[in-house]
Amino acid sequence: MSRAVVIGAGLAGLVAANRLVDAGLDVTLLHKGLGGLQLGQGSIDVFGYAPERVLNPIKAVSQVATSHPYAAAGSAAVLDGLAYLKQELPTLLVGDPEANYQLPTAVGSIRPTCLAQPSMIAGHVRDGAHLVIVGIRQLKDFHPQLVAENLARTVLPDGGRLTARHVWVDLPARDGEVDSFGVGYARAFDTEAFRIAFATALSPQLKDDEVVGLPAVLGLADVKAWRDLAGKLGHQVFEIPLPPPSVPGMRLNEALTARARSAGVRIVPGVRTTTFSTVAGRVASVTTAAGRTYSGDAFVLATGGFESGALELDSHQVVRETLFGLPLTGVGDGPLVHGDYWGAEQPLFRVGVSVDAAMRPIDPWGAPAYPNLWAAGGILAGASGWKELSGDGIAVASAVAAAAAITKELS
Amino acid sequence: MRKLAADVVVIGGGSTGAGVVRDVAMRGYSAVLVDRADLGQGTTGRFHGLLHSGGRYVVSDPLSATECAEENAIVTRIQSAAVETTGGYFVTCPGDDEGFADKFLAGAAATGVWAREVPVAEALRNEPRLNPGISRAIEVRDGTVDGWQLVWGAANSARQYGAQILTYHRVTNIETSGGAVTAVRCLDERHGEEVVIDTNFVLNCGGPWAGQIAAMAGAHPVEVVPGRGIMIAMNHRLVNRVVNRCIYPADGDILVPAHTVSIIGTTDVKVDDPDRLAIEPNEVQQMLDAGEVLVPGFRQSRALHAWAGARPLIKDDRVSASDTRHMSRGMAVIDHTTRDGLDGMLTIGGGKLTTYRLMAEHIVDAMCDKLGEKRECRTATEEIPGSESGHTHKVTDRLAEREEDRFDSQIICECELMNRKMLIDAMDAQPEASFDDLRRQLRLGMGPCQGGFCSTRATGIAHAHGRVDAEQATALMRLFLKNRWIGLWPILYGEQVRQTALDNWIFATLDVAHLPQPEGEVIA
Repeated sequence: MSRAVVIGAGLAGLVAANRLVDAGLDVTLLHKGLGGLQLGQGSIDVFGYAPERVLNPIKAVSQVATSHPYAAAGSAAVLDGLAYLKQELPTLLVGDPEANYQLPTAVGSIRPTCLAQPSMIAGHVRDGAHLVIVGIRQLKDFHPQLVAENLARTVLPDGGRLTARHVWVDLPARDGEVDSFGVGYARAFDTEAFRIAFATALSPQLKDDEVVGLPAVLGLADVKAWRDLAGKLGHQVFEIPLPPPSVPGMRLNEALTARARSAGVRIVPGVRTTTFSTVAGRVASVTTAAGRTYSGDAFVLATGGFESGALELDSHQVVRETLFGLPLTGVGDGPLVHGDYWGAEQPLFRVGVSVDAAMRPIDPWGAPAYPNLWAAGGILAGASGWKELSGDGIAVASAVAAAAAITKELS
Repeated sequence: MRKLAADVVVIGGGSTGAGVVRDVAMRGYSAVLVDRADLGQGTTGRFHGLLHSGGRYVVSDPLSATECAEENAIVTRIQSAAVETTGGYFVTCPGDDEGFADKFLAGAAATGVWAREVPVAEALRNEPRLNPGISRAIEVRDGTVDGWQLVWGAANSARQYGAQILTYHRVTNIETSGGAVTAVRCLDERHGEEVVIDTNFVLNCGGPWAGQIAAMAGAHPVEVVPGRGIMIAMNHRLVNRVVNRCIYPADGDILVPAHTVSIIGTTDVKVDDPDRLAIEPNEVQQMLDAGEVLVPGFRQSRALHAWAGARPLIKDDRVSASDTRHMSRGMAVIDHTTRDGLDGMLTIGGGKLTTYRLMAEHIVDAMCDKLGEKRECRTATEEIPGSESGHTHKVTDRLAEREEDRFDSQIICECELMNRKMLIDAMDAQPEASFDDLRRQLRLGMGPCQGGFCSTRATGIAHAHGRVDAEQATALMRLFLKNRWIGLWPILYGEQVRQTALDNWIFATLDVAHLPQPEGEVIA
């Protein structure tokens, strides 16, 4: 059986590993940390801003420049990947590649995203909606009054308006705790007793017809906890993602990891891959900082970008891909950063590896750096995922495309 | 229009102005201090935080050395809360002239600056990150001082003596009549209101901006030569004592542990406009190289933030010899009576933060002389509010405080251990403060995340506290993040790039960029 080694357990690495194991390969997934899903919003962004607000994300994908990662992966891989996620995680992801949800954020802006968790979609903004945003006194990363007032003063993407007000619930996740993170509340919401207590505190404050916005902490292990709470309240509810650690992101991470494991992927957490060896110009193995070597027939570099340490900028302003030392695109064209914070995109964050049509990193002359090395996700050059809100879609599409190319190559 | 009256108007809310208004008020004059921005927002807030022992000047400027040694002791006593008594070393690095240490010790003995040579092994044991190649080490009593706390302390003391402190009041004109000052006209920037302060005496403590201010009174041009210096804050304390190179004072020869960071400084480049201070890439590289000499591996450490300050140097041919009688070392007092035929105004330039109190004493003495009055200075003996206990601060103080109150108040800034109560109290004390104003008081956003987590929390809290509406809250947050970036992008490398990328993802989750835009920028 052919052996594939996937490095990195963010969305790209997890999708690649699952697709490769589905194709019958022997897959090892090496990862250093927790993966990017838990730092994000827990929905699947495909295209949010281009640079104007995107209503139809797959249409925006089809209109990118040739230097964009979507151009290499192709619209078909985006659609394939989105369908795969919906099929494999039916309780966690819903949505339409041709229509973004427009969902409230924890500061009250309206954020486009493509696939969302069912617990979020009642927040999709609609003309004439009446929202009540619920804060929890002990949870500092959610600002219900700011959310409500910002939403109420915003003209909706379809030109409409909604009304929003805020209320507070004073209920510690654990007795006596005044400073809880979302995960603490998510674990509390996993229990029926806490949901009852919360509903008891909140219900009297709700008015008929109000849709209830809550911080995205409504259960971690129990992905239906939010439905139970909605039933107890007798209102539609929706979750609003918080800064990390992201409870919805953890749900996706758990589900994709569990799926990979049950499908037979060998997952090796907590290892930092630091060196590699080649034989006859092909990658033969990678070795961890602790000295373990993993050999394979195909390697997928899904290590992310600067945020994960896959790319580094040193004090002499030299950018480096930290594992394979791959050629980088986007360097050498002038300053990498500029001083206008709210202005144009920082060129630094478009730096990454360029890939061929098979998602293999290429050298400046267009030839694959190694014939059996593929790349997916944040390591790819040509896009700032946070600016476009495209990071998840790029991860999924490039992972699907890379897995397909590997499967074809090795079969 | 608002009308005020005062014996003395002090222009400039840096350390000089704050020291001066305190002294003036303590001597019984009614006083108003005005600054176009926040206190300590200019030069005072843009230095490295070194409270000189005098060691730096024992060879190059013996009188300064003695002044620093004396004032260090006074400031540590009267403003203990703003001071950390870190101690310091002067070290001879590889390639440095080893003989300088002998001149240093002789100079210290001659100037009364406490100094003691210690074995290199002892210095390396106490400061393990120091260059193991150092050949000599001299212990001194350097300390660090929080410039903002120093200024606010002096201002609060002045308030207790009846002075008014008006921040965000920009002087638009100094009115004269018959060759004498009669009033200072200001614009209250936050309310767009004109404020006229009737007065017979102006003390121009504008630092690098002193020339612009003197011109408003119709004085002959005062030539200010702003000397730009950059500083870089490195994450964590690479050293726990101030570490100086034991050489004739030069660029990049000091590493100062201040609060949770270590600050390397500094450069000196002549610039024309104190409002336009660039942080040039070559100067950043120069500082990193200099840091590498003191602490090997410096470049692998994480740089958090950089800033540039303008030294308030005045070069003025019209200053007559008789005007220097009240001068501290490095300080210039311009008497506009003899120079311009204008009564009721003194302009002060130069000086250094360690001797700010002494400078103020000299200036106010000069004013009293001109007024023909004899009033004693008492600033050296009376503690400033908040420093009565005499306890100097330690880097661990906030940790101890948070251990005490962790079940009472949420931590809003984990990097700097600032809790909700501290933030709310500061907002109540300064209801119109920008987040940068609050930062100077609380260190909000000054740690490794540079606002990634705390900026939106501060926004939500400010809004919920009823200070601002959602549009103003958004404007405050946008301005804060913009200002943080000014000091980030020039030193963006290594782990701070990683942090910036994480922060960008956080702001993408919140989609802060697409909040409805405020009409205009807030004042700060």
